Amino acid sequence: MSTPTPDGEALARLLTQVAKGDERAFEELYRRTSARLFGVCLRMLRDRGEAEEALQDAWTSAWRRATSFDAGKASAMTWLSTLARNKAIDRLRQRREQPLDDPAMLDLLVDEEPTPAADAQHSQDYRRLRDCLDQLEPRQRRSVREAFFSGATYNELAVRCQVPLGTMKSWIRRSLLQLRTCLDA
Amino acid sequence: MNTPIDEAPSHLRYAEYVLGVLDADARAEVEREMATSDAAAIAVALWQRRLLPLADEIVPTEPPPYVWERIRDGLGLRAPTRMPPPVARPGLWESLRFWHWLGLGASAVAAACLVLLLVPARRGPVAPPPAYMASAITQDNGQVGWTATMDLAQGRMVVVPARPQAIAAGRAPELWLLPPGGKPIAVGMIASDAPTTLALDRALLARLGPDAALAVSLEPPGGSPTGQPTGPVIAKGAIGASPESGGKPVALLRVNPTVRGQA
Repeated sequence: MSTPTPDGEALARLLTQVAKGDERAFEELYRRTSARLFGVCLRMLRDRGEAEEALQDAWTSAWRRATSFDAGKASAMTWLSTLARNKAIDRLRQRREQPLDDPAMLDLLVDEEPTPAADAQHSQDYRRLRDCLDQLEPRQRRSVREAFFSGATYNELAVRCQVPLGTMKSWIRRSLLQLRTCLDA
Repeated sequence: MNTPIDEAPSHLRYAEYVLGVLDADARAEVEREMATSDAAAIAVALWQRRLLPLADEIVPTEPPPYVWERIRDGLGLRAPTRMPPPVARPGLWESLRFWHWLGLGASAVAAACLVLLLVPARRGPVAPPPAYMASAITQDNGQVGWTATMDLAQGRMVVVPARPQAIAAGRAPELWLLPPGGKPIAVGMIASDAPTTLALDRALLARLGPDAALAVSLEPPGGSPTGQPTGPVIAKGAIGASPESGGKPVALLRVNPTVRGQA
């Protein structure tokens, strides 16, 4: 793993303070990271009201579970993003099944590839992951990205990509194995 | 029926969990596993480390301000304190710092020192009179658990444990203000083995007085989930008051080590 950036260290320190019940540290941590976490929730839920509620859920958990943060296992940003993702996914799973042939759902599957220009401001961990993603077969890469950003289940992904469920599972699982090999190399 | 590809190696389920492709039941199953198996928790953490950097791509969006207010209110946290800028008042807050420095096992000494420190303040005819309050938060066995000193002008309180307090695993001490005839108000989490400085907002300051008391209850580490004490009260203490001086509180101090089970 790359050396944590100074900012990452500052966030970890704040989170450690939050674990001790420091409300000021909590507010400061929120101020510094909530826009990114709100972005995560918005991207998955595509509904401002729901994203706001998921964000609230995530920060409520962050306050209560800060003692479980272990700076040796995860960066503060990974820990917080995971909370936000999990709250958003919980909400997605509570929604009623999306109609399988809803054309609006198909529109959501866009081939969103980041522009290289944006790379400079990204973390070293991100650039490594991007390099490994770039080695995947394009359809598989798109499936992994869509899965990560949308929080969709295998079933939903298969429908959106109009491939059999088994194919989708196979794409994603192969991609995950390949990513692990590439990242852990 | 299972083709090889349907039989995901079990460790891939952790990757699938982190990626977010599992349905609600499968997610719940992985979460149960994580709670009971270190190996599962570590495997998930490793996948989070691998995949979460992808979130870097997401465009940050500022949430509306009321989201923070809801979070804060939902957790029963205090409204942001608008503290006056530090006034050049020599020695007064420093005396509280002195408590910090003094640390453990010293509440009686500290109380005595505070009396001494406050003497000049009481006599000082020029400087605006500072306002202090103090409370000895006493355990059921009659021993002082913590000593709290409140600097009303600065809106701060220092809570010093008399000695390291043994706290049940998975619990943390939370300090409450007990206003007369009202519900307890959360002041903040306090350390059991070190001094804690807490900010006092206006609502709390308004309720501090000789009729109020402080109490410490055992709560989950992040604090009471309900905004009210949920665990046993392990210490309690009256807040000391001082005579009025020119209509203003001068130095409020009465450390009473025998306070038990009040209010």
